[in-house]
Amino acid sequence: MDDATNTGISEPLDLVKLSLGERVFIKLRGDRTVTGVLHAYDAHMNVVLSQVEETIHFVDVTEEGNPLPPRAERRNVEMLFVRGDGVILISPTQQ
Amino acid sequence: MSSASPEPDAGAAAGSPSEFLKNIVGKRVKVRIGSGVDYHGLLTCLDGYMNVALEETEEWAGGRKTAEYGDCFLRGNNVLYISALEDL
Repeated sequence: MDDATNTGISEPLDLVKLSLGERVFIKLRGDRTVTGVLHAYDAHMNVVLSQVEETIHFVDVTEEGNPLPPRAERRNVEMLFVRGDGVILISPTQQ
Repeated sequence: MSSASPEPDAGAAAGSPSEFLKNIVGKRVKVRIGSGVDYHGLLTCLDGYMNVALEETEEWAGGRKTAEYGDCFLRGNNVLYISALEDL
């Protein structure tokens, strides 16, 4: 790898490895997002998180079929296992 | 098109798909995922599953920028295509 644009990332999973113990944002299938502290992951992107906030995004439609403004439902979970096949994106949250 | 030879020239434009992927590492790319959402960013690296790591990522959906991520990991199964946004 000749590009030294980042510190010690030679494969995509390294980005997830560097996020262990940090708060991450995960985008899931089914218009769901979760943020939580990353405790563990594997090659499937099965993930264990703590202090989780799950957000489910809705776009309701009127009876005429017109979309209403987007709506979000949130809930908090202390500890969560996420099955890898639902994962679309993982990003360390910047704070 | 002038000759029947399928031989790739030494440039980056011709060659195998994996050669293309090797050449776009470090470049700005657009990654489209199955749901139609685009991710524009600097391609840090990718692997055989087509898992992708991007820097300075912008998420575009429906013609609008919907999010920005400093670093982002995209799970390979969601990837529809990867397109170079700059010359190789």
